[in-house]
Amino acid sequence: MTIFLFTIRRCFRNIMNIILLCVLPFIVILMPNEEWTLLPLGFQLYGVVLFFAAARITSIIMEDRTKGVLMRIGVAPVTHLQYLWQNLLAYSLILIVQIVVVIAGGILYGHDLINPFLLLVVYVLFALTAIGFSLAWFSLFRHKETAFVVLMSSIMLMTMAGGMIWSVELMPELLQRLAMLFPTYWLAESLIIVATQADPTELAVPFVVLLLFTAAFLVIGSKRRLS
Amino acid sequence: MIIAYMNDIVKRYGSFRALDHVNLEVEKGEILGLLGPNGAGKTTLIHALAGLIKVDSGDISLFGKKLNDHIMEIKQQIGLVTQDITIFDDLTARENLEFFGGIYGLRGAELKQRVDETLAFVRLTDRAKNLPAKFSGGMKRRLNIACALVHRPKLLIMDEPTVGIDLQSRNYILESVRELQKQGTTILYTTHYMEEVQSLASKIVIMDQGHVIAKGTLEELVENIQHEEKIHLEVIDEPTSETLEELRSLNGVKQVIHNKKKIQIISSGGAENVDNVLAVVKKAGGVRSVTAEKPTLEDVFLTLTGKTLRDGEEE
Ligand SMILES: Nc1ncnc2c1ncn2[C@@H]1O[C@H](COP(=O)(O)OP(=O)(O)O)[C@@H](O)[C@H]1O
Ligand SMILES: [Mg+2]
Repeated sequence: MTIFLFTIRRCFRNIMNIILLCVLPFIVILMPNEEWTLLPLGFQLYGVVLFFAAARITSIIMEDRTKGVLMRIGVAPVTHLQYLWQNLLAYSLILIVQIVVVIAGGILYGHDLINPFLLLVVYVLFALTAIGFSLAWFSLFRHKETAFVVLMSSIMLMTMAGGMIWSVELMPELLQRLAMLFPTYWLAESLIIVATQADPTELAVPFVVLLLFTAAFLVIGSKRRLS
Repeated sequence: MIIAYMNDIVKRYGSFRALDHVNLEVEKGEILGLLGPNGAGKTTLIHALAGLIKVDSGDISLFGKKLNDHIMEIKQQIGLVTQDITIFDDLTARENLEFFGGIYGLRGAELKQRVDETLAFVRLTDRAKNLPAKFSGGMKRRLNIACALVHRPKLLIMDEPTVGIDLQSRNYILESVRELQKQGTTILYTTHYMEEVQSLASKIVIMDQGHVIAKGTLEELVENIQHEEKIHLEVIDEPTSETLEELRSLNGVKQVIHNKKKIQIISSGGAENVDNVLAVVKKAGGVRSVTAEKPTLEDVFLTLTGKTLRDGEEE
């Protein structure tokens, strides 16, 4: 589990990551309750934080690849699969801990989270999808900086188009359909289902879609090895 | 005993053959110098040997076992010092070593001890807690080497470990390689600096354009090329024409040029005439100085390929 343990350490080795992982959760909790949102504002937007955080920490894999460290790890008696799953496990664990802290913090702060457990499941599923998405994304690029800048913009775009900031119903029909291609749409859907206390079985569709997204992204992302 | 063996290896990139029917044997305990200009295929060969890339044809065995059948077991006993510096920038020197020790299965007290020893070996103990960002080029190189040593490999493969560093660090690295050999490590040392191979290696393999073009000890390689031996003499008394005549009549001598008290004698390769020449001039009054120019690896390379090793180097 050497790779796993060191990945966890490395996730906290730069300021940007520390802000995303340790500071922003508290801002999420402390954001005010707005009349116009179903969930407290911070929780409505928390998915964006998760997406950015997932992108930041998953970029470690890309860094290893471009710097040649991954090739060096390939010389050791470790398979590429071991490297990959230990990294992904570390990222997932970090985000899951963050989600637990955010939800527990929200409850303690006095927010009405309606169904905290379901909310936790929604966020965890989305975090896994975000990690998978970032992995697949980085596997397509050669330069970390380019990959990063384009990814950040795409996340913003997906956030807006996916209905996380405003309701998709406010968008034209065509865009509403297109939005379904983004994981953020399914996160927004799930949040609405939880917040409106609809029948939890309605979560099945968004959950399955998120899981399928995750699986597809992982397959794409794990294809690329060295070079 | 042969511990690494490559037989008839071909590695293609598209239609280009980076390795073209290459054979290689590494003997236990030796420092094998793999010499060749940039683009010769050294890194490709090393990566094939370390199981990093698949070859198109040919057999590779290490420690008496086929690489493909026992890859994990073999990898455990190899250390690779990469040509580029491949260390974690976000981990300290110590953590880097702990990581690489860890992925080779070292744990707990043993890991700590090996990390301490390795840090001391590359003289980075004082800097163990620093991130490599603060290191000089030479220190990064040393850490890069250390990462391949923590698990005490039986076979250490070094891919141009001295590129782009100061002389002091370079000498230190060369010294460390000798020390490792003394401790029993077998070393495959790749470089395009012939001086390094000349001073380190017990056996030399020369590569060019994906081919092994020569192998042997330095002496064997040099003997194999037809090259002239040059002897420069400074004598005490100006030589008489009899002395010059006597020198000319020595076996293998092609030419004797003299200018006052300086004499230059050119003989054909392998003539080993220094002793004979000295005997002649001693009789005729004595020698002030003598230098014999031996052909170098550079000459070997030049003879074999018609180009110098430095061709195409971006320095
Ligand atoms: N992944 C690759 N794809 C295509 N060509 C490659 C690749 N790796 C190496 N080569 C080519 O193979 C040749 C040998 O390269 P290399 O083994 O790195 O040489 P050296 O280490 O001796 O400088 C070079 O011409 C290089 O361009
Ligand atoms: Mg090379």
